[in-house]
Amino acid sequence: MGNKQTIFTAQQLDAYQDCTYFTRKEILRLFYRYRDLAPQLVPLDYTNHPDVKLPYELIGSMPELKDNPFRQRIAEVFSEDGEGNMTLDNFLDMFSVLSEMAPRDLKAYYAFKIYDFNNDDFICKSDLEKTLNKLTRNELTEDEVKMVCEKVIDEADLDNDGRLSLEDFQHMINRAPDFLSTFHIRI
Amino acid sequence: MTIEQQRQGLAFSGSGHPTDQESLRFRRVSSRMSTQIYHEPNSSTSLAQEEEQSGSEPTLELRNTVFPMALKKAARQVQQMQVPAQFNGGSWKQKRIKFVRQFKSNVREFLYFFSLWGKTLQKIGGNFGGGVQSYFIFLRFLVILNFVSFLLIAGFVLIPSIVFRSVGIKPESSKADVSSECLKYDPNPQGLVVFYEFFLDLLSGTGFMEYSYLFYGYYNNSVIVTSLVGSHFSYNIPLAYLLTAVFYFAFCLICIIVRMGKAARVAVTTGGSDVRSYSMIVFTGWDYGCLGSKATKLKQRNIYYRLQVDLEEERLKKHAASLTLCNKVTLHSLRVLMFFVAVGLIVATFLAIARATTFSQENSHVPGILGLFYTYLPSIVITLGNFLVPLLCDQIALLEKYPPSATVVVALLRAVVLRLVSLGILLFTLWKQIMCHDSRDKCNLCHYNHEDYQCWETSVGQEMYKLTLFDLLVSIALLVLVEFPRRMVVDHWSCKLTQWVGRQEFVVPSNVLGLVYGQTVVWTGALFCPLLPLINTVKFVILFYCKKITLFYNCRPALRTFRSTSSAIFFLAVLLFGWILALVVMIYSVAVIHPSFACGPFRSFFRMWKIVPESFSTLPEGARDFLFFIGSQAFSIPLFAISCVFMCYFIALASIYGKSVAMLRAQLKLAGQDKQFLVKQIEKMKPLSPQHNEGEQD
Repeated sequence: MGNKQTIFTAQQLDAYQDCTYFTRKEILRLFYRYRDLAPQLVPLDYTNHPDVKLPYELIGSMPELKDNPFRQRIAEVFSEDGEGNMTLDNFLDMFSVLSEMAPRDLKAYYAFKIYDFNNDDFICKSDLEKTLNKLTRNELTEDEVKMVCEKVIDEADLDNDGRLSLEDFQHMINRAPDFLSTFHIRI
Repeated sequence: MTIEQQRQGLAFSGSGHPTDQESLRFRRVSSRMSTQIYHEPNSSTSLAQEEEQSGSEPTLELRNTVFPMALKKAARQVQQMQVPAQFNGGSWKQKRIKFVRQFKSNVREFLYFFSLWGKTLQKIGGNFGGGVQSYFIFLRFLVILNFVSFLLIAGFVLIPSIVFRSVGIKPESSKADVSSECLKYDPNPQGLVVFYEFFLDLLSGTGFMEYSYLFYGYYNNSVIVTSLVGSHFSYNIPLAYLLTAVFYFAFCLICIIVRMGKAARVAVTTGGSDVRSYSMIVFTGWDYGCLGSKATKLKQRNIYYRLQVDLEEERLKKHAASLTLCNKVTLHSLRVLMFFVAVGLIVATFLAIARATTFSQENSHVPGILGLFYTYLPSIVITLGNFLVPLLCDQIALLEKYPPSATVVVALLRAVVLRLVSLGILLFTLWKQIMCHDSRDKCNLCHYNHEDYQCWETSVGQEMYKLTLFDLLVSIALLVLVEFPRRMVVDHWSCKLTQWVGRQEFVVPSNVLGLVYGQTVVWTGALFCPLLPLINTVKFVILFYCKKITLFYNCRPALRTFRSTSSAIFFLAVLLFGWILALVVMIYSVAVIHPSFACGPFRSFFRMWKIVPESFSTLPEGARDFLFFIGSQAFSIPLFAISCVFMCYFIALASIYGKSVAMLRAQLKLAGQDKQFLVKQIEKMKPLSPQHNEGEQD
């Protein structure tokens, strides 16, 4: 309790509290998790804004992420360079969106970006096929994959352009009662 | 759409983050942000709150925006710089909002520290999914409910009774004009007591346990009125007993309804979409909180299985649509026949329970182990029925060939009916015996069967106590004798049979029904066995740890998952059904059956509820007039009229919201169609102006 920590200035902590859904304690705890991934790279003093990026291999080895089939896409979406190498800001952003307090629309926006493998702002058939294969470990047959993709686009595509835009995705997510509890990483 | 605006106005490169050249643009945009009214992605109340509170300048909830952290921090700096420019009231309001948010997060952290088994539930959710976790959350809710009820009962009934007994206040004998036969009550064992009688008594609530604080018969009808100098202390134990029971029921009802409201809110906002659509499975099926490679592989198999099941249902639907008339008639007649078979099985179970209860009550005085077996006979028959009949119904369901989703619902309904109505049959049989429907002559003397039941309330309490205890013993016995050996056999002995049987699956619905059954038994028995909520708390705590152990060591995650959100409402609805059953029993005991003459707090009353009018007369003048006024027509009719007005208002409000939701949905669809139309128009326009396009491309 109190201002005993020397990692961040008070203003920095305030800024983090305003920009994420975490409390002071949680932000410090996340910093220590970030640092534990590479203690020699991450300094204990962030008051002068050091420019430290952890490579994707380290991020992807976290126990919360290492078995997630979408870990690479998650890291890519939240990282600055789009390759999965994350600064502390990106790290906090990622877990803030994936925490249980983030609202549905914010999560839907980032979920859309995660499932959009080719980054063209639409979830097209190839994106869906990649998602399905990651979900089922390539165990569905070609025909079954095609059938499921067609059904998904049938159900969710409102503007009938053969692919899902952000609005279609959000409209569908609004009808999913489980989304908030499944799109949630406990850390 | 506003997010469209974001995307167009802040054209990110493919990665979603600005390059150096674009950062200037963002700084300009971020200054715009705080001046334009901004539809945030967060549709919750924060926007409304902030628009209200900050008056002309709506403050931006930064954490709800979709910008990366660097941009959010820049926007925040801009906001901070603008704050002194606003009038003082604005910044004070911002400080207030911040303070409230800090306070809420501090309270949340504090409560999390106190929340029971929080980490365990997280671990269960990560490894086995939301369905299993919802069972344990339900169990935790019941533990807390029982514990708080026990505190209520202890505070108002148990502790005063202990105090008065230790002070030496003797019970008043019944003043009613009735023969001495009815006043005979001798629960203490006569003569030599064999050593194993101790355990038999512990298990069946007789002997030394019968005349103790555990059962109704021990409580006295002491009414203490002291008028010492300066202080006036009075305590009416019978009144406290009855009112505590009533408040206990009301408290449980309020808890259930509040929890149901929370769960229903989630269901209503999502509009009751169809449960098994493909897009739901693909986009919301993956649980990001899933930990461990084994759990991940199982989750992937689970999703694969669900998709297969859906595809299978599609094929079945196509097949069913292509059936000839003759086939359809056969199928429907088969279903009707199977329905009657299931009903017949359930009715047969009820008859067996009734017969077992009668037999057990007739032979309750047989000593020794055989006597213990006879007293436990109703519990044994109920447990056997609850175990065998669902198995048989599952086999019947194979013949009925309903689609998979309908099969699950039908099986659940059958199980619920079986469990709760079998308890009702047991109580009905007991009641018949107490009110001697078969042999009229036994009840002539004391209005109830005083020969077999000198203190009938204690007998009913004992029956409920035995049911609770037997339930716990069976759970532990199953754990030790069936589940652990099964896992050891399956793990170490690989042959075709063991692979086919496989490891235990944690089936959520039947476990939840077991919990509801246990809680209904406690509610029914609380009036006759005041310590039953405490026993139930201990039982549920033991059950929690037993189920947790069996889950982690013996079970594999079920391939067919149970949806966690709609199931929460289902669990609470079944619990409410159990509550209603217990309420019927309580009302019947309080209002229709004559209390025992020989024991208990109501021994001198004609009916249990008669204590209330009689205590009325001891109230001071003012309170009596006030209560009479509340009960009179002058108050109740205007109250009824006002509550009708409020109800109409809420019904109108609800229908308006429903209509606006439907209208907004239709509007969304229309917007999509408009966009499609406009795109088509653009396509049409393109060939008309080819020079324009060529010029632009250069």
